[in-house]
Parts: sequence; C-alpha cells; structure tokens
Amino acid sequence: MSERLPLSGLLVLDISTFIAAPAAAVALADYGADVIKIEAPGEGDPHRHNYKRAATYPRSERNFPLQLDGRLKRSLAIDLKKPEARPVLEKLVGRADIMIVNFPPPARERLRLRFEDMQAINPKLVYCSLTGYGETGPDRDRPGFDVTAYFGRSGILDAARYEDGPPGLSLPAQGDRATAMTLVAAILLGLRHRDQTGEGCWVGTSLYANGAWANGTTIAGAAIGGRLVTREPPHKPRNALTNLYRTRDDRWLQLLMVRDDRLWPTFCDVIGRPALATDPRYAEREERRRRALELHAEIAPIFASKTYAEWEALLSGTGIPFGVIGRVADVVDDEQARHAGIFAETTNPEVPRTVNNPIRLGFAKPRMSGKPPAVGENSAEILRELAYSEAEIEALRKAGALG
Amino acid sequence: MPESALPLAGLKVLDISSFIAAPAAAVVLGDWGADVVKIEGPDGDPNRRIMTDSANYPKAAVNYPWEMDSRNKRSIVLDLKKPEARAALDRLLKWADVMIVNFPPLVREKLKLSYEDIKPVNPRLIYASLTGYGETGPDRDRPGFDATAYFARSGLLDAQRYEGGPPGVPGPAQGDRATAMALVSSILMALIHRMKTGEGSWVGTSLLGNGLWACGVIAQAALANAYLPHRPPPDRPRSALGNIYRTSDDRWLQLTIVAEDKMWPPLARALGHPELLTDPRFAETVERRKHSADLAAIMGKAFESNTYAYWLKALSAGGITFGVISRPQDVPHDEQAVACGAIVDTEIPDLPRTLSNPIRLGFAAQRIAHPAPGLGQHSDEILREVGLEAREIAALKSTGAVK
Repeated sequence: MSERLPLSGLLVLDISTFIAAPAAAVALADYGADVIKIEAPGEGDPHRHNYKRAATYPRSERNFPLQLDGRLKRSLAIDLKKPEARPVLEKLVGRADIMIVNFPPPARERLRLRFEDMQAINPKLVYCSLTGYGETGPDRDRPGFDVTAYFGRSGILDAARYEDGPPGLSLPAQGDRATAMTLVAAILLGLRHRDQTGEGCWVGTSLYANGAWANGTTIAGAAIGGRLVTREPPHKPRNALTNLYRTRDDRWLQLLMVRDDRLWPTFCDVIGRPALATDPRYAEREERRRRALELHAEIAPIFASKTYAEWEALLSGTGIPFGVIGRVADVVDDEQARHAGIFAETTNPEVPRTVNNPIRLGFAKPRMSGKPPAVGENSAEILRELAYSEAEIEALRKAGALG
Repeated sequence: MPESALPLAGLKVLDISSFIAAPAAAVVLGDWGADVVKIEGPDGDPNRRIMTDSANYPKAAVNYPWEMDSRNKRSIVLDLKKPEARAALDRLLKWADVMIVNFPPLVREKLKLSYEDIKPVNPRLIYASLTGYGETGPDRDRPGFDATAYFARSGLLDAQRYEGGPPGVPGPAQGDRATAMALVSSILMALIHRMKTGEGSWVGTSLLGNGLWACGVIAQAALANAYLPHRPPPDRPRSALGNIYRTSDDRWLQLTIVAEDKMWPPLARALGHPELLTDPRFAETVERRKHSADLAAIMGKAFESNTYAYWLKALSAGGITFGVISRPQDVPHDEQAVACGAIVDTEIPDLPRTLSNPIRLGFAAQRIAHPAPGLGQHSDEILREVGLEAREIAALKSTGAVK
C-alpha cells in the first residue's frame, strides 16, 4: 500500500511552529510524504510543551497534542541563527519538494528564509507560507494566533454570541486545523503547477483569510449592508418550539418543531401536559409565537425534570424533530465516528488513538503513526543522508548549531 | 495573466450537489480555472433560496449567499429522477474529470449515482463525495447539516460554552466552508493519483470528520482520557488578565496578557486605577488569580466607562497585549482584510465585492467572480458541448428531463 500513497517520494521541510502549518505537514505525512521537522535545539517547537503550559488545554501527563501535530515526522534540530547551520539547511532545501514556513515576515528576512532566498537555491521548490494576517498590509508582521486572527478579527466570535451575551468561544487550535486543510490544497495546487511548468512557486494562506472564509456568509451579508441576526438566548426564544432546552442531567436538547401546526397536540401529550393542547392562550401557531416567553416558562421546567435519555425515549417515534448537542466524551466511542474513519489507531502506547485528517481517499489509507520524534531525534540520520561525515556532525554539535 | 495559465484550467467539474460545503468546493476549483457545470433539479439548488428561508441569514436585497457559492459556474437543469435524463448524464460524466456529489448514500443508490455506478461510465473520473456522517454506519443516510453534523454531533458546540451556560452558536455555513477546503484537498490528491496511475478514484470527506478535526485538540485529549472543563463566564474568569471585557458602546476586548509581572502596572494605570497596584489582594499573580472575580468586577466597570475606540488607543499606548473582537460588518472595511486578499472585487454589478477562497498562489490570481447562473441558464449550450443535437435536446425538454 505505501508506494500507492499519493505523496510518497515527496520531501517536505516543516520549518514551522505551533499548529496550523505543522498540521498541514501532518496531513502530507499521513498520505506518504517524508516530512522533516526543522526545529530549534533544546526546547524545539514550543507546541511540544502546550499540553503542560496552555491554560485552555485539557490536563494530561501524556503529550497528546504532539501525536496530532508531530506524527510521522522526523526531527532535525538545527539553530537557524547560527551560520554553521546554513549549509545544512541549503542542502536540504536543494533536495526538498516542499517547504512550509510560518515565521512572521521580519523573521524570515533575518533568517534569509524568504521565497526569493529559497528559490535561488532550488527553483523547483514549492514554498508554502502561513501568516496570521497576510504577506502585506499594516498588520503583516503581527504574530497571528488562531483565537485572535482566525476567530477574533474575522468577526466569528462576535457573530457566535447570543443577543446581549458575551462573544462566543473557540476551542484550542480549532481555526488552525481548518486552516491546515487550505494549506494542503495550496501545496497540491503548487505541485500541479510544478508538474505542468517544471517550475517551483510560492503558495500560502493566512489565518485571517481562513476565518473570513469560514465566516463568509455573514461577512458577505454585512458587506452589502445586510441586517445581521443575533441569536436569541434560549431563555428568550422567538419561537419556544424551535429552541434549546436543558435536561436534568445538564445536556441540551434541540427542539426543532417547525410543523407545530400539526404536532402541537402530540407534543402536549408527550410532555405530559395534554391540557395545554386546548389552552386558548396557545391555540394557534400565531399565539404560540406571540407568547413564546410564556410558553418557554411553561415547558423549560418540564424538560429540566427528566434526563436526556428519558426525553430521547419519549420523543422518538412521535415525529417531533429534535437533536442533541453532542459531547466530545461521547464521540470518541461513537460507532458512527468509527464508520466515518475519524479516529485511527497508533503504535504509540502512550497515545494509542489519534484523530485522522478529514481527507478520505478510495485508493489509499493514511499511514499509521507511531510515537512522534523527540527534538533532534533524527538529526544525525538526516545529516548522514546528506553525506555528512561523523566528524562533521560532531563539529556541528560542538558549534551548538545541531541538537 | 491569461485564464489558461490557472492551475486548474481545462479541468471539467460536475457539481451535482446542493447547499454549501460541496458547492463551495466546486467554487474553489472554479476560482482556480476549472470549468464547473452545476447540475440542478427542476426546482434548483435550495441554496438559491436560503437567504430568505433561513432565519439565521442576514437579509439583503442581493442574493449574496447564492452569488458566493455559485460564482463562475454554469447551470444545467437535468431531472435525474427521469429515465430520459440518464443518457445525457452519461455524456456529461464521460466529459468530466471530477464529479462532486452530496446526496445521502440512499438517494445515490436510487439515482444510480454511487461510485460503482459511475466508474464504468468513465474510469478516469474523480468522484468526490461529501456526506454528513460518512459512507457507512448507522447514520450514513441521515442528512447532515453543518449545524448538526459539524458543530453539534462533533461536540464543538458543547465545548464552546461558558460554564453553566447554553451551547455555543455556530455561524451560518462556517463549518461547511471549512469542510470545502478538505474536499478540495482530497480532489487534488486524486488528480496526483490519476497523473501517476492513469486511474480515476473515489475521494471524499464528511462534515462530522471535519468538525472533529477542527476540535482535534480536545478530541485527541478525550482519546487520552483528558477532559476540558467549560470556560468560566467572563464575571468569574480563571484570570482577570486573560478575560474579555465589554466597553461602553457594547464592543468586547480580549485581554491576552501572558507576562503579568511586566504588564500589570501599565494595565492598572491605563484603566485609571493605579491604587490597585498597592492593593494586597492583587499584589502578585497568585493573589490576582485567587481574587480574579473581584478584580474582574473592578476591571469590568472600568472598561464599561469608555468606548472601544478609547480602549484601543489606551491599551496600545501602554504596550498591553489584547485581541480585537471584530464585528462581521467591520471586516469588509478592514484594510488588512483586503491586504491579505480575503475581500476581492467582482464583475457582479449588484455585488461589487466578495470573499475569495483562502488559497493564495504566487503564480496565479483567482478568477474574478462573474454572476451566478440562473436556473438552467446554460442547459442548451452544455448539452451541445457534450455532443447532443438540437432535436435530442428538444426531445429531452419535452419530457421535462431538461429545462
């Protein structure tokens, strides 16, 4: 199978940190590319330590994020600030097909890692750039994080709030991982261009552009003066019959009774309040809408009196549409998630299952991953592949250029 | 740059899909030069009407969501339920390089549109499948929408809530548009495979898979039995210095202070509360965390005493790190949104600007958006292109199989 992987034979240099760009490199590795992660000796990519440091990450003794963002890579620890490291980098660039970079533009200039610098070394290289806010403009040098550039700046968090409530929340790396799929597409278009013309090229994306794309419907509406809609909070619904209700076990049930003209009497029976069906206050759809708050006050305590499972049993088969707000804890054992190929086994005993990238191919399966590399774990092996002698490797280590 | 130089120039795509994720993937292929033919039923893609049908869409005089998800496409009306339409469909399938489909599996079987049905007609065809929940399993035939499959079922909405509060709010099509990029990547992988082997293939993705990929950090954590407590609401933050605050004009600011020791004095002064610096409750990080609700109350009052514009200036002057929570209506006027290429001009008179897809290529610019097609606007022209004669087209029209 492995020679059938679409990206086998491609050499990728992942000179990036944190999540969006490294996650794109993971997806390439999943489908066969040889990915060398170039990181600083010592601490390496700071993302290696997020599971201990980041307040928004679930606590664990095991480095679970690295399984997701570091799997199937080899690590070369070189200090790009040291002149001794430059020849190593240039040899690798000369051999590589793809290079992924996410330093802000000034750091690229200092380290001579711009497209112009790399193109001179390897004109066939596909150079892939990720920035927070784009390659030009007033904020091009601003470090961009997913919560600020993808979610805050694009208007997603503001749009994702209930009327009068605080802005919505984003999950750790949520926008980074969506952005990674765009980087993969950009790289594949770059490869196609290389196949068609024989030339390398620059490709890229920004977190901001991806946030704006995700929020595209709302922004496109705003751009032509559309009236923006804020979601009413569940305790102040515009329609009490298409609303969220909390159950006794703190789950949320999404009631979606669009056809209340037909289903109202059934619903009153199911919730154990048959008298409501003949209550003149709620006789017609129009009155139920007008008295949405009153009606909500009647039925919210009823939903709060039973568990989600009890409601599921009561509502199923009645024709009343409803949904549940899933919990990640349930999804990991969800049979449907297994069918959709969402999780994959690993050979790493510390993190035995991981999340697949969402690309599915009929002709190839993503590679199974083992333990992600330690910082510099493959340094010597990679240098030997570049025909460095043991003495030269030792000298680089002594100079502090190699870890 | 001539359109013939675009990386997907000459690629023929059939978009047999509705609503947003799959049609948006076809838009991206069209942006990069592909000839996209949209096959619609006699009533057309319901996305043509979603702006008025959905309560969550901003209302405007121009049908902006349809323009955005259909730009540069041609439309043919072919009633796939009518047997007369099959021969014409087969001609189109032979003509095409890529076919994008998002009917639930059961409908595909009924319409003889499953991959096994299509492959004998054109073995070089790339069949790109989008489902809500995957191709097999108990929920494979369930229609999947972005709000239900990407956001609710994946656990995203449950995780995106403040402690004790209702689930998060998904923006319209936010998950659809992120999923589109994974679908594009899968199609490009298949093009590489076809170039290497000469063979077509099945590729695809699911909304559920993309939702879980987006919340990969917490899903991966859950796979390692680590769970994330819900975020405390802004009046009870874990840290008052990493919290959101409302301004007097109902805007929100996100303080993102990491170097507390350095930033606390300028922050207290910028807030107009220098006395806090000598308050023993807030002396060091430990005390500030312990009294974070008290501190958040004081800071909250301060922020509410002045406007968003005032605080932008005051915080920037103090060198204090913060994130902007833009409103969607701000983004079209944001210079950086134009600089990063997210907002582009169109050739659509009623809709002078739109959102580009987030892929950037150094060697090609995205095609400028032309108006989305009327229903069946190109039926005749497309059928002629695939070799049907005028009388055959007329016969199809008389049966109602073509409009």
